Amino acid sequence: MGQDNFMTQKRNLSLPTTAAAGNGRAFVGGGRGALRGKHVQKTFNNIKITILCGFVTILVLRGTIGIGSLGSSDALNQNLIEETNRILAEIRSDSDPIDPNDPPEPDVNPNTTYSLGPKILNWDSDRRNWLEGNPEFPSYVNGKPKVLLLTGSPPNPCDNPMGDHYLLKAVKNKIDYCRIHGIEIVYNMAHLDKELAGYWAKLPMIRRLMLSHPEVEWIWWMDSDALFTDMVFQVPLSKYSKHNLVIHGYPDLLFDQKSWIALNTGSFLFRNCQWSLDLLDAWAPMGPKGPIRDEAGKILTANLKGRPAFEADDQSALIYLLISRQDKWMDKVYVENSYYLHGFWAGLVDRYEEMIDKYHPGLGDERWPFVTHFVGCKPCGSYGDYPVERCLRSMERAFNFADNQVLKLYGFGHRGLLSPKIKRVRNETATPLEYVDKFNIRRASHSL
Amino acid sequence: MIMERCIGAHRWHRIQRALRHGKVTVICLLLTVVVLRGTIGAGKFGTPEQDFVNIRDQIVHKIAEHRRVLEEIQPQQQQQAKTTSDSADSSGSSSTSNSNSYMEFHINSILKDEDPEEKSDPNKPYSIGPKISNWDEQRSLWLKANPQFPNFIGPEKPRVLIVTGSSPKPCENPVGDHYLLKSVKNKIDYCRLHGIEIFYNMALLDAEMAGFWAKLPLIRKLLLSHPEVEFLWWMDSDAMFTDMAFEVPWERYKDSNFVMHGWNEMVYGEKNWIGLNTGSFLLRNCQWSLDILDVWAPMGPKGKIREDAGKILTRELKGRPVFEADDQSAMVYLLATQRDRWGSKVYLENAYYLHGYWGILVDRYEEMMENYRPGFGDHRWPLVTHFVGCKPCGKFGDYPVERCLKQMDRAFNFGDNQILQMYGFTHKSLASRQVKRVRNETSSPLQVKDELGLLHPAFKAVKLSSL
Repeated sequence: MGQDNFMTQKRNLSLPTTAAAGNGRAFVGGGRGALRGKHVQKTFNNIKITILCGFVTILVLRGTIGIGSLGSSDALNQNLIEETNRILAEIRSDSDPIDPNDPPEPDVNPNTTYSLGPKILNWDSDRRNWLEGNPEFPSYVNGKPKVLLLTGSPPNPCDNPMGDHYLLKAVKNKIDYCRIHGIEIVYNMAHLDKELAGYWAKLPMIRRLMLSHPEVEWIWWMDSDALFTDMVFQVPLSKYSKHNLVIHGYPDLLFDQKSWIALNTGSFLFRNCQWSLDLLDAWAPMGPKGPIRDEAGKILTANLKGRPAFEADDQSALIYLLISRQDKWMDKVYVENSYYLHGFWAGLVDRYEEMIDKYHPGLGDERWPFVTHFVGCKPCGSYGDYPVERCLRSMERAFNFADNQVLKLYGFGHRGLLSPKIKRVRNETATPLEYVDKFNIRRASHSL
Repeated sequence: MIMERCIGAHRWHRIQRALRHGKVTVICLLLTVVVLRGTIGAGKFGTPEQDFVNIRDQIVHKIAEHRRVLEEIQPQQQQQAKTTSDSADSSGSSSTSNSNSYMEFHINSILKDEDPEEKSDPNKPYSIGPKISNWDEQRSLWLKANPQFPNFIGPEKPRVLIVTGSSPKPCENPVGDHYLLKSVKNKIDYCRLHGIEIFYNMALLDAEMAGFWAKLPLIRKLLLSHPEVEFLWWMDSDAMFTDMAFEVPWERYKDSNFVMHGWNEMVYGEKNWIGLNTGSFLLRNCQWSLDILDVWAPMGPKGKIREDAGKILTRELKGRPVFEADDQSAMVYLLATQRDRWGSKVYLENAYYLHGYWGILVDRYEEMMENYRPGFGDHRWPLVTHFVGCKPCGKFGDYPVERCLKQMDRAFNFGDNQILQMYGFTHKSLASRQVKRVRNETSSPLQVKDELGLLHPAFKAVKLSSL
């Protein structure tokens, strides 16, 4: 079809040429003038053809490829980046499509006491009966009680990518410790109870796990910003046969000074029993979001030493509960400080080299801390209580300090406490089992 | 003018006219060709659209290359800056940034390699480790001497170690680490239910075997260091469990040493490079496995060896594009060319999705929830959904970012629902992070059983005689 157009155009174009030539000859008369006229006409016609062809070519090309975005590769890349950023921002945002079919959430009545669930009265005997009826799910294996480690993080991405990376490293650290010591992990990423969000979210989860897993003897809550730094040390559970709650803290800070940091709820163990369910029920009422939590916060700030003014947190609430009802609860609570069930990071991380020099894993205390807990760093948020560089540098060091203990079995170690790369510390051999016998932590701890 | 005098005016005119006609004809022909190419295409020369896509890809990859190169240079520069500033500043804490804000923080400013890189001898041929010939005896002696670490934890149930991993440095993509975290939570859940141990690797054991080959030295090291492990299960970090109730049929593999998802015809018959998948496979801890690792490894060392091996593989395997040698293609080639040596102990499983390509599964989750239930492991309810090509940790994958990430969320929630239902909850929808209650709390929780029976499943029961 295009060809037809061209043929007609050609015919049309050729007519004026000859006519113009004819005119030229008729009008101008002078030789050179006529020729020049002809030249001009010809050039003019050529230009017309060229322009028309060019125009048609552009149209056709645009129809197939679309030249607009071929203009610059930068613009293209920019588009890709913008698109990706938009998707990432969408993922990062906490927005969930609101389902119109969902019934509206019932408002919490501030006059009724919040409850974690229906009151359970015979948990000890129910549990005992269940264990007797299900011998294939024992609560003691090889003489050791079954422990479940509970940890977790929010379901949406952190405000900054470093946060997710360190959450990943922290969970690897916990996986390593728990594999070596035969502990199961539950990593919670769900808010089971909208009322008890934030640091209070552990309470409904602990209760739920206790009731669903009667075969578990101890539930160990650990914060996502706490790292195991002694891979050999085991919690001496036989020491707590008469207790139901093991928590790190200092009795003098607790009873004499009533300090809000007398205990730390970043790492503690709850026995699976009626007493624990009762304590959880007594602990929860300060938790529900909103006016209850704010009011409770004021009470706690008024009664505990050194507490800043903010909404009620689970740690202050527990301390307040244990102080005010000492007679009811304290005989079953073991306030542990002979080893670092929770070890505040600031005093520990700079001493790792000294520890490597002088001591060895298995001590669990200030010589080789069991747990290094990065309180206040808040890598998942946008702002922490401490300089970011210090926090992240320390977390990297703690992670590598612990990882070296795991990699030792395989003959590797990190190239420095700040390095993600590893180096060989033991040559490969054709008889690897002699080193397995020497360095396998699990084997060593089993024979204890 | 000159032409006119030579040939003669009239002739000249005729020639000029002919030239003019010729010009127009040529232009028309050109135009026709262009239009036709634009619509029909010119066979393997492609269409302009394909050209465009190729050019765009090249430019984009060049930019990615530049970026990667830049990022590799940057840490060196920053390290140099760090060491000079460190030596000047003895207190150890840098005075340059005391900010409490996590935004705009670059990880390379704190990472530091203290010991020098190991220099490998370029003349020495690559070896994955010293040759071991009596691993079966060594291992059985050890097992006899250590009865508290049996290699079978149940009558038919071997001790299994799942191995997965990711880079020790933060992902290039800002949400990449979040998806790695969800993926590892997913594996933790499955393994807790099925009594399997996990090893999450974040270390590059052998700098020469980087990238997809990094799993080989790691697997060998783990087999030799954990004689109590009977089966090692390698799983990529972009693979997720979507059937929490499915237990791998271990008795089926009692005579096999290597189980991969694939099809015999595609590997041995067609030599198709995707005839099997090395993103999720089982490897028994025995001499045979050490031998196959030794034979598998030689195509891996990065540089010229890997490039040349890539060319061989592209030539020999069906459908393989041109790129450096990867472990999967090398395994197809190995099995196809040495079937008599290895084939009898290799089981190419396709009765269930030991590896399930995500593209054909993720849109069907709602249909599956309607018609089937967990426990099948196959096309009705896949065991594993593997996000091949998505590369959430990097900046550029083979598929659009939005589709990949949204579908990974859905697959994660699909699997997570099976865990949450144990405790009486479920996600509000497959796209939602929020959960809702589906079973009320009761004052006698032990009477209630979860629908799928995952709280106390048979495959988790302890051997009574071992108590």
